Amino acid sequence: MSNPSQLWQQYLAHGKAEAVPVISAHAHYGPYMGIYFPGRGEADSMLKMMDRAGMVRAVCAPHAALIEPSRGHALLAEVISTHPNRFAGYWCINPNYPSALEASLEEFARSPGFVGLKLLSDYHRQPITSPNYAPALEYADEHELPVLMHTWGHSPFDGPALWSEVAARHPRATFLMGHSGYGEWDLALDVARRHDNVYLELCAAYHVNGIIERMVRQVGSQKVLYGEDLPWFDPQYAIGCVLCARISDEDRHNILHRNAERLFGWG
Amino acid sequence: MIKLYDCNASFGVADVPPPRYAATPDELIAEMDFCNVDEALVTCAAQWCDSPLVGNELVVKEAQGHVRLHPAWMLLPPQTGEQGSSVDALLSDMARAGVRALWALPARNKYLLNATTFGSVFEEFVEHDIPLFLPLTEAVPGLAGHAATHLGWQLVDTLLGQFPRLTLVATEQSVWGQDRYFRPLIERYAKLYLDISTYEQGRGLEDFCRRYGADRLLFGTHYPEVPMGGPVLNLLNADIPNEHKELIGSGNLTRLLREVRL
Ligand SMILES: [Zn+2]
Repeated sequence: MSNPSQLWQQYLAHGKAEAVPVISAHAHYGPYMGIYFPGRGEADSMLKMMDRAGMVRAVCAPHAALIEPSRGHALLAEVISTHPNRFAGYWCINPNYPSALEASLEEFARSPGFVGLKLLSDYHRQPITSPNYAPALEYADEHELPVLMHTWGHSPFDGPALWSEVAARHPRATFLMGHSGYGEWDLALDVARRHDNVYLELCAAYHVNGIIERMVRQVGSQKVLYGEDLPWFDPQYAIGCVLCARISDEDRHNILHRNAERLFGWG
Repeated sequence: MIKLYDCNASFGVADVPPPRYAATPDELIAEMDFCNVDEALVTCAAQWCDSPLVGNELVVKEAQGHVRLHPAWMLLPPQTGEQGSSVDALLSDMARAGVRALWALPARNKYLLNATTFGSVFEEFVEHDIPLFLPLTEAVPGLAGHAATHLGWQLVDTLLGQFPRLTLVATEQSVWGQDRYFRPLIERYAKLYLDISTYEQGRGLEDFCRRYGADRLLFGTHYPEVPMGGPVLNLLNADIPNEHKELIGSGNLTRLLREVRL
């Protein structure tokens, strides 16, 4: 029997579904060292993919900002000012320059279109529990911000085991577990189930067959957000994985846009 | 409708299964129906994680009577005599079993995929136009991730340097865009094909086809590791002409299998 989902049928027919204004809660921006991007991974190229897949918004952490925050944020700020309804930003924290953090957070407060923080502990080789992250996490808690973290199974820097502690200590911040603690599924799903302020984010995890079903069953589709590292991975591929998972169209709506609308206040 | 012929699907019970899988050919066909996939070149889990000898028999037996499933075999070095006394014996076994494609798993099955091991075999494969599927993760045992695929592309280069007329299908590329690896190889080796089951690169198909056309790409799902819907929508909704989708979806693989002479 062919997939009876209305949304699947519409994606087959049109490459998108009118009723699904997709939001990517995990995107990047611009070129990066380890990958060739058609169109340098910049706005025009990303918009082509977004338009074709019915994606209304992408929340981006520019690659440059993961290395040198001020340079990268300036790049994205320009894109946001040109396309304020299509792009939003995560403010990137590099914990290896702790003395710059306070000024950076002040700049964040003055920067329109940046809606949360992005932490990339695995790449920065600093555990998320390091004191170098503390001011950023306290800031997120105080201002009730969404925080997208890279989380990878068994990582000593950002594995799901560390997140229970961080989430419990900052109950007013909302933590999106980027990649859903890839590979350490049991623990990652358990952390998301136990903490109201922890969500699973699907980037890369979507291509593990059957994992979306498990997330929905064990944690609930209200706690799962769509993302695909745009411009890295094609939204058609990622959305196709969500649409063929054995979940309901209501679950798919929650994952592909409703949860992000609620979290970022775009309802 | 674009016909989809999956070059890389598997059924059966594995030692470490993904959360969702097809235990039987019927379950695989149900999955194909669910995701609009018409036919599949299949292996079974026993070929990967039990013994190729056991698995090769099993895949033919189990696929029998399922006209949409076409079995493929694992290749072993001829020197141990496990796959018959000669390459001719292997080819006639393939003909009898209706097998028209082979996979090489040098890391799992512990051999060197090179001219020393397979010189005369690959000369015959060239003569008979037999396609060989090689997962890029199979260059060396015990490695995963970026190091494994880096060595996988090196192996493709070395092998096709020795056998430029061998039909080779590189599978299971890393999802980190691999264009910088494979474009030079595509330009040099006319009989290199890419299974795109894990080619998630944003706008990758569009960019590749504009430069190279669609003759060198094969639709695959890498099921059960990957949910079929991902690769399916990625191809069907790519910004490429329908003729390209038809070639990638089924035309190229159909041609490769038709050209096999047994
Ligand atoms: Zn990312």
